[in-house]
Amino acid sequence: MREFNFTNPSTLDEASKILKTSDSSSALLAGGTDLLSLIKHEIIDPENLVNIKNLNGFDKIVYRKGEGLKLGALVRISDIAEHQIIKDKFTVLSDAASVIASPQLRNMGTIGGNLCQRPRCWYYREEFDCIRKGGDICYAYLGKNKYHCIVGGGPCYIVHPSDTAVALTALDAKVTIYSNGDYKSIPIQEFFILPEVNYLKENVLEPGEIVTEIFIPEPKADVKSKYIKFMERNAWDFAVVSVASVMNLSNGKISSGKLAWGGVAPVPWQEEQLNQKMSGLSIDDNSVEEFSKSLFENSEPLEHNEYKLILAKNLTKRIIKEIAAD
Amino acid sequence: MPQKIVKSKIIFEGEIVETIGEVSTEEYERWGANENLKVVGKPVSRIDGYDKVSGSAVYTFDKILQRMVYARTLRSPLPHAKIKRIDISKALKVNGILDVITFQNTEDIDWYWNSSKLFDPHLRYQGDEIACAAAETAELAEQALKLIEVDYDELPFAVNTKKALESDPEKLTGFKKPDLFTYDRGDFSKGISESDESVEDTFTTPVVIHNPTEVHCSTVAWDGGKLTVWDSTQAIFSVRNAVADSLKININDVRVIKKYMGGGFGSKLEAGKYTVMAALLARRLGRPVKIYLDRREMNLAVGNRPDSHQTLKVWGKRDGTITAMSYKSFGAVGAYPQGAAANWPFRTMYKCPNIKVEDQNVFINAGRARAFRAPGHVQGVFALDSIIDDFAYKIGMDPIDLRLKNYAEVDQVFNVPYTSKLLKEAYSAGAQAINWDLRNKIPGSGNGVIKRGIGMASQIWWGGGGPPAHAMLKLERGGYLTVISGTQDIGTGTYTILAQVAAEILEIPMEKIEVILGDTGVGPYAPSSGGSQTIASVAPAVRDASEKMKSKLISAAAAIMEIPEDKIKYNNGEIESIEDPAKKLSIADILKELREESLLMNGSREANPDGYTTNSFGAQFADVSVDTETGKITVNKIAAAHDIGRPMNQKTLENQFHGGILQGLSYALMEERVIDESTGQVVNLNMHDYKIPTVKDVPKIEIIIVSKSDDLVNNVGAKGIGEPAIIPTAGAIANAVYNAIGVRIKSLPITPDKVLNAIYKFN
Amino acid sequence: MQMIAIEFNLNGILVKAEVNPGVRLIDFLRDEYGLTGTKEGCGIGECGACTIILDGKAVNSCLILACQIDGKEILTIEGLANSGELHRLQENFLKKGAVQCGFCTPGMIISAYSLLLLNPNPAEQEIREAIAGNLCRCTGYKQIISAIEESIVVNIEND
Repeated sequence: MREFNFTNPSTLDEASKILKTSDSSSALLAGGTDLLSLIKHEIIDPENLVNIKNLNGFDKIVYRKGEGLKLGALVRISDIAEHQIIKDKFTVLSDAASVIASPQLRNMGTIGGNLCQRPRCWYYREEFDCIRKGGDICYAYLGKNKYHCIVGGGPCYIVHPSDTAVALTALDAKVTIYSNGDYKSIPIQEFFILPEVNYLKENVLEPGEIVTEIFIPEPKADVKSKYIKFMERNAWDFAVVSVASVMNLSNGKISSGKLAWGGVAPVPWQEEQLNQKMSGLSIDDNSVEEFSKSLFENSEPLEHNEYKLILAKNLTKRIIKEIAAD
Repeated sequence: MPQKIVKSKIIFEGEIVETIGEVSTEEYERWGANENLKVVGKPVSRIDGYDKVSGSAVYTFDKILQRMVYARTLRSPLPHAKIKRIDISKALKVNGILDVITFQNTEDIDWYWNSSKLFDPHLRYQGDEIACAAAETAELAEQALKLIEVDYDELPFAVNTKKALESDPEKLTGFKKPDLFTYDRGDFSKGISESDESVEDTFTTPVVIHNPTEVHCSTVAWDGGKLTVWDSTQAIFSVRNAVADSLKININDVRVIKKYMGGGFGSKLEAGKYTVMAALLARRLGRPVKIYLDRREMNLAVGNRPDSHQTLKVWGKRDGTITAMSYKSFGAVGAYPQGAAANWPFRTMYKCPNIKVEDQNVFINAGRARAFRAPGHVQGVFALDSIIDDFAYKIGMDPIDLRLKNYAEVDQVFNVPYTSKLLKEAYSAGAQAINWDLRNKIPGSGNGVIKRGIGMASQIWWGGGGPPAHAMLKLERGGYLTVISGTQDIGTGTYTILAQVAAEILEIPMEKIEVILGDTGVGPYAPSSGGSQTIASVAPAVRDASEKMKSKLISAAAAIMEIPEDKIKYNNGEIESIEDPAKKLSIADILKELREESLLMNGSREANPDGYTTNSFGAQFADVSVDTETGKITVNKIAAAHDIGRPMNQKTLENQFHGGILQGLSYALMEERVIDESTGQVVNLNMHDYKIPTVKDVPKIEIIIVSKSDDLVNNVGAKGIGEPAIIPTAGAIANAVYNAIGVRIKSLPITPDKVLNAIYKFN
Repeated sequence: MQMIAIEFNLNGILVKAEVNPGVRLIDFLRDEYGLTGTKEGCGIGECGACTIILDGKAVNSCLILACQIDGKEILTIEGLANSGELHRLQENFLKKGAVQCGFCTPGMIISAYSLLLLNPNPAEQEIREAIAGNLCRCTGYKQIISAIEESIVVNIEND
């Protein structure tokens, strides 16, 4: 491939310092699945790879009843997909993990990397000097935008490619970040940022900051959750639209619930008023239909992606009904 | 010797080619059905299978030579430009970078039928070759490409076929507008006046890319003035000729070898520029060169199935008799001359005395079209069978009954009978396999979110092969047989089927037969592996050689046993006295007695029969479910019923059909090259943005072969199968989708966005 | 140029090497050890032709650096046959006609092998999932599924 140096820091602090001092000439290597593709396509050109894969303690899945689930950032996607407690209690997350890319990539890719992966926008991945790569314009805005965002766009119109991020958003996960010798924990909703905040990156991480852990609080008793990913191809594809839902039901009604969407926005998309509206929603065709109609009132579809709005509404109806029927 | 040089006619991908060549004039007894045979037609495992499953098969991509260097290619980033200045000096300063060739430091070599040069400073599409660098490693070669400085004069371009049609073609490529193809038959206005009803519609199909798993690549080595080329090719002789002509060296100083290759589908039927560039570099450096394209380049620069914009109109009577049809189409050939026509099925599939055809090739500033598995037919059948279904629904007739009503008994273009045509049998077998009666009598009339539909389409293709095609046999001591021919096995099973034919005639066990193909230095000429012509051309030559070898063995046995030849018979691989069966010789015995180490025999394909056209026929039926909330189409089942003459090997046949159908399915539902119109650049150059199906996209597939043998076409009764498999799939799926939802999606691929847009606008 | 010393198990043999950090595992296996059964189809983990087993799991060797395999176990298609005798998966790929051009075959067999390592009795859906990252442009996959089904030990014992 390319010429670069490889460092195997023995501590997180060491890794963080290298990344911070060398700024963009260093890149963090964990599973490497996205990083090596980015290097191959010359989207990034690091001089130094900082390998954290061998750091101890970041590859554990720990569940404590009553507290919640901790996922080390180096936990492999396939381990999340196959973990029995996650399947039982955090179904939406194992659903999401199990439909990511291919078995080979799930065996190598990590949860930290999945959250931090770069966009799959074809203008970004191809040889276009687009705004996210420091250029002047978003080619998708007036171009081939059938896979681009319908909400939250501008000045760049990517969608966030991560499936687990959508599930974790519905689960109200927290992301722990190692930053300047300390750890901080932020809600996942604050981890991702819209292009209007910064169109050069997809999350809040500053140079030297490293995601170390994902924490998901213990769900309410009898919670049900699910992830539906709509792909054009039945495997190894990114979501055209996906929806994650976590909800509690009683007497044919949703007593409380959360929804999040993928494939519609530059970040995992959530609308707080929709979550509130879900509480008390009756699970009957009319109510669910009415609810789905109120989705994404601020959407601004582009020339070729209006269908995503129909798709998102229909998938939302479907996930509510399927969870209720489970 | 019953061989002679004759004029013969073959049809290769729509072109009638008259050839003068050596043919066998022997007439052999026809084999009858496969039940009469011991080896041919049986599900014999591939004889080249061990290498492939063990990982030991050396593909061109794996070919490594001592002192070999690597070459990579610089391609135009722009859709249309002229090179103002090019400077390679910085690239050459880097240690390990050995050479860079461009139009400035190489001789002019004509390319694309003299319309351009190997390195043409006039760049006509994103992907056009600018320079080629050789270095100690591929990475260094790529680094060299980045250090080449190029200044461009950017020129106007068009990547949208419709816009290009309305533009001045000479401004886009410098080439004249291609001539309009026209074809007329009968009395068109009379046909219209006889009609009661008509339907008209426009159908569009996308540009799709072959994407074989093995990229295009060559390894080349000079030995003095002689050049050996290992190439991933479907046509060793074409590569040899093109390389020799380009380098102005003797034909027999170039040897092209291809043992294993990872797919081609038509994209490897011509010599590639890369092979010649590698040969030039290797000559300059005095070292072997390996050159390859990466997946991005594969999606840019090795050809595609052109798009089509087909407007069809059908006039007919209420009883279903079609009285007139018109066809007007245009399609993009890319930036260099090639064909994009898709009208052949329109002219021949259904009986219609009065037709009119206009087909316009259009130059655009994008990668050039090239043969892609059943060129023209896949596009053409989708449009034709869509409009035929529309007419059937308009007059309230069962779509199969309409097709039967207008069944073409003869080839309507040449007005001659077919050597065989079992399309009626295919309709009936396919209809039964798909449960045709379960279709919606009124399209879209099913209830529920998931709507089911059934549709079908017909298939026509040539695939009868023809001369010249030769094979050699070498029988050696111990009774071991080697079959040698200048064709190649591109994964279709040619090695195995040729061995089966020899085994059938000479009754030698398969384990004792070796087949050598894909080497111009060894094999006598046999055709390229395209057009579904390989087996129909070469297997008869192997039969011819085997039958003649059998006579030779009888004559040898007569000499050894001192019995007249007419008192000797060939029985189960042994040669025995008719009068005294105890007196017999095995083939090994004969070889032992002879002081020759080997017995040789040549065989040739016979001429095609006069006064006939050979076509394969078939019909595919699709059962689909459409999720009306997501637009997702799930193909539940494809039933494929085909008349392909004799099935030569049940296993390789199933491979070809399943693979072809899956390519047809993804043509219908997934594949499309997407170009950004503001920049003229392709956006989907990888294998997830350019979607080909995974194992999870595969429907249930049922293959029904309705033919036993086509005894007129050649001495083994086989017609080709590679292309028939893909032709009707998209048409059948499109008709099934219409049957399911009652809205016709007229543009492929039928992706979920199109389905949702259609349903939601319709409602 | 930085060189990194690594030690790993390659098809059952302990190997020591020094590698440049920029070298991908696929190139390392093919160029240094002549293990050309591991193919490259896309170079970015989208086709699966380069699939190998790394510590018991199927991975894309085009997206791994050679220097990352220190201390690990690698199995390639060449390590599957035992003294020239094919593994039952390889036998069944032959027998069931699961091979056409053969370029995707090593990766396909390796993915199937990794499935059977973890799940000796997979259902058809599990087989499909296990090879969903291996693209085949020739066969249409059906015979590949049959070959893997045929290789399930339970099925062999029931024969």
